[in-house]
Amino acid sequence: MISSFYVERDSFLHSLDPRVKLVASFLGIVAMILFNSPYALLPLFLFILLSLRFLGKIGFREQWQVLKPLVPLMIITMIVWPFILKPPLFGLFFGFGYALRLGALGLITFSLLLTTKQRDLILGFIKLKMPYEIGLTLTIALRYIPTLYTLTMTIMDAQKSRGLELERGNFFTRVRKTIPVLIPLIISSIKTAHELSIALESRAFGTKKKRTFLHDIKMELRDYISLTVILGLFIAAAVLRYKYGVGYVRI
Amino acid sequence: MIEVRNLWHIYDGKKEALKGVSLTIGNEIVALVGPNGSGKTTLAKHLNGLLKPTKGEILVDGLDTREHSVAELSRVVGYVFQNPENMFFEENVFKEVSFGPKNLGLSDEEVEERVRWALREVNLEGYEDRHPYSLSGGEKQRLAIACILAMKPKYLVLDEPTTGLDEKGAESVKKIVRKLHRDGHGILLITHNMELVLELTDRVILLYNGEKAFDGGVKDFFELNLRDYSLDKPALLKISSSLGLGFFRDLESFLDSALRRVSQ
Repeated sequence: MISSFYVERDSFLHSLDPRVKLVASFLGIVAMILFNSPYALLPLFLFILLSLRFLGKIGFREQWQVLKPLVPLMIITMIVWPFILKPPLFGLFFGFGYALRLGALGLITFSLLLTTKQRDLILGFIKLKMPYEIGLTLTIALRYIPTLYTLTMTIMDAQKSRGLELERGNFFTRVRKTIPVLIPLIISSIKTAHELSIALESRAFGTKKKRTFLHDIKMELRDYISLTVILGLFIAAAVLRYKYGVGYVRI
Repeated sequence: MIEVRNLWHIYDGKKEALKGVSLTIGNEIVALVGPNGSGKTTLAKHLNGLLKPTKGEILVDGLDTREHSVAELSRVVGYVFQNPENMFFEENVFKEVSFGPKNLGLSDEEVEERVRWALREVNLEGYEDRHPYSLSGGEKQRLAIACILAMKPKYLVLDEPTTGLDEKGAESVKKIVRKLHRDGHGILLITHNMELVLELTDRVILLYNGEKAFDGGVKDFFELNLRDYSLDKPALLKISSSLGLGFFRDLESFLDSALRRVSQ
């Protein structure tokens, strides 16, 4: 996870056109928001887990790695609901659905990054008529998450070596103790961004409106079939939700 | 004395970074060399407890690093990181240097005294009100050393202290290292710069693939076939050995000897 999230695998999801994956991710996220009952959200969540495992060859252990940082947030979501929604047991059950939503959003986003090369992701964005700059900005941002993580670890080590104890003290002292880590991190990020912009300009970024591409992507029969299936599933979900009221609890 | 006994470090239960390294470091200047990925930084991070051993143990003046926090160990082992900017966050040099001693819970007078002393040691007197980021590369490196020095550790780990510095900057860092050694500090120098090793250190530890490949005097070290370890001899030694003049630590003594030979 040093430079990119992408993992090389020989799987169906890996070989799919990035546009199809972008549309599928978007619709997947919308579908998770469409429903609010855990009776609908749990099967959807399991469906995502299983399709990642079998269509994307992303093992459950790797999926867990993605979900792990979200778990505290998911638990907080779950225990907050009983205070809002009575009876408490029903609130907890409802909160469970919201926690699943959160997990699913994380899983869907990361599965896109895990199965798609950055190059293809940008290409996908552009072919969907997004301006190149936005596609590039988005992928640069994603690309720098692991780099910033490594940098944060280094800065933390450097400040610990100066006697900083991050684990000690109450909540407020701990917040104050993050300053020696945050400031070098912010300065370093701004410097990196500045250097990056110089590097881009020195390679004639933005000279021509219309760009040409060394690699190209093409929709194949398989991609069209997948897209149709995805659209079909989504429409079915929308019909179930709005026409028959399935998976929605009015509160 | 720092004692490393049969140290193993395995990252994420998979990558074996160190495979049974044993060594001791006293009040001496020791160079830690080896190609990228040989385990130098992993080893150094064990000395002040930033990393804990997977197997084996490290005793720093009798303290087991597994039982003491980095903050506690930082009183004994100072670690100057490679990029000084990764630690600067205060608005002026004085405050920056006082961060370490303050964390040790010292009184204000003691902190001030230590900061003045540390800045004097690295020749940064009069810089107290400057912004750390406004200093030159060499000054930043010296400030980084002062920040650690103010905590008065007995041992110092310096990670690539001369990389990216010009001749003048590198020279002043070398001077500081020599002076600290004279004052009784043990110094571990992580470096790729063989000229620096030749000039500054008495003893060299060579790591290769997570194992100790050599540990001994600097003269014996440069008799190894360094190409086998992706390293190279300093130009000075190449010239002197092709002239049949033997081993020299610095340019002056080499020139003396060469001139004597010419005049004979």
